[in-house]
Amino acid sequence: MADARHILLVEPEPLLRRTVALTARSLGLSQVHEAASTDAALRMLRERSFDGAVIAVECIGSGGARHYDLSLVDRVRDAATSSHHAMPIAIMADQATPTLLRALHERRISRVILKPFRARVLLETIAGF
Amino acid sequence: MHAAPFPADEAERLAALHALLILDTPPEQRFDRIAAFAASEFDVPIVLLTLLDTRRQWFKARIGLDACETARDISFCGHAILQADIMVVPDALQDPRFADNPLVTGAPRIRFYAGAPLQLPSGQRLGTLCLIDRRPRTLDPLDLGILATLRDLAVMELGGGAPQAHG
Repeated sequence: MADARHILLVEPEPLLRRTVALTARSLGLSQVHEAASTDAALRMLRERSFDGAVIAVECIGSGGARHYDLSLVDRVRDAATSSHHAMPIAIMADQATPTLLRALHERRISRVILKPFRARVLLETIAGF
Repeated sequence: MHAAPFPADEAERLAALHALLILDTPPEQRFDRIAAFAASEFDVPIVLLTLLDTRRQWFKARIGLDACETARDISFCGHAILQADIMVVPDALQDPRFADNPLVTGAPRIRFYAGAPLQLPSGQRLGTLCLIDRRPRTLDPLDLGILATLRDLAVMELGGGAPQAHG
């Protein structure tokens, strides 16, 4: 897998993350780099370029200001990382609210993965990048 | 019904299993988590982490089954540990080895079985991570890859080292 594509997977749940990364490697789909948090992902995005990313996003804020944290996506799209600003990105979210879908559309993201998250869906997404 | 024959390395296999001191120990979250993940991932009602003792298969982790062990001679896993690859039985009623097995004709009424052998780096296969359904099913290459990975993670938890590449 010398010319494997490098995919960033940002997902806090270790078993799902490990399962996707190890299966992608064993089936020769791609080299999946694991980040358990946004901070870890930012470090990795500084260190090397990726061919795509699957990012679990969480709600932040409270009350009416509660919204999904898309700061990682913004860093990529603003060309503030080592990766191409237009690289394919899929988002994992608890639910697809109209606000989220609008925000993703503005960021040129067309793939949203909703709960329950399955390794199979993530692997198919990565294979489709 | 065809009772599973003992593998050629049965004595070494049992020695390796007993050396782990894991039989009849309480459930552990690290194994339960893998079984629960598999049940959700594959949408199957029963997932077991089995260990094949002299005359029984004992479940270190179990989802969807109350029993903590069954006799080895009627176990599907006794057959699964005879090979390194995952053993898939798409429909037990169509398989002469299992069609009249009491686990098929009676509770839990197994129709589909997929067992990934828990193989130590030294080669002994101690049991399986297995998926069971009450309806016929198949697994595609991606499913098999995911099941193999979960099996590798279970072997790691058993003390079997880093996951091996599989394809």
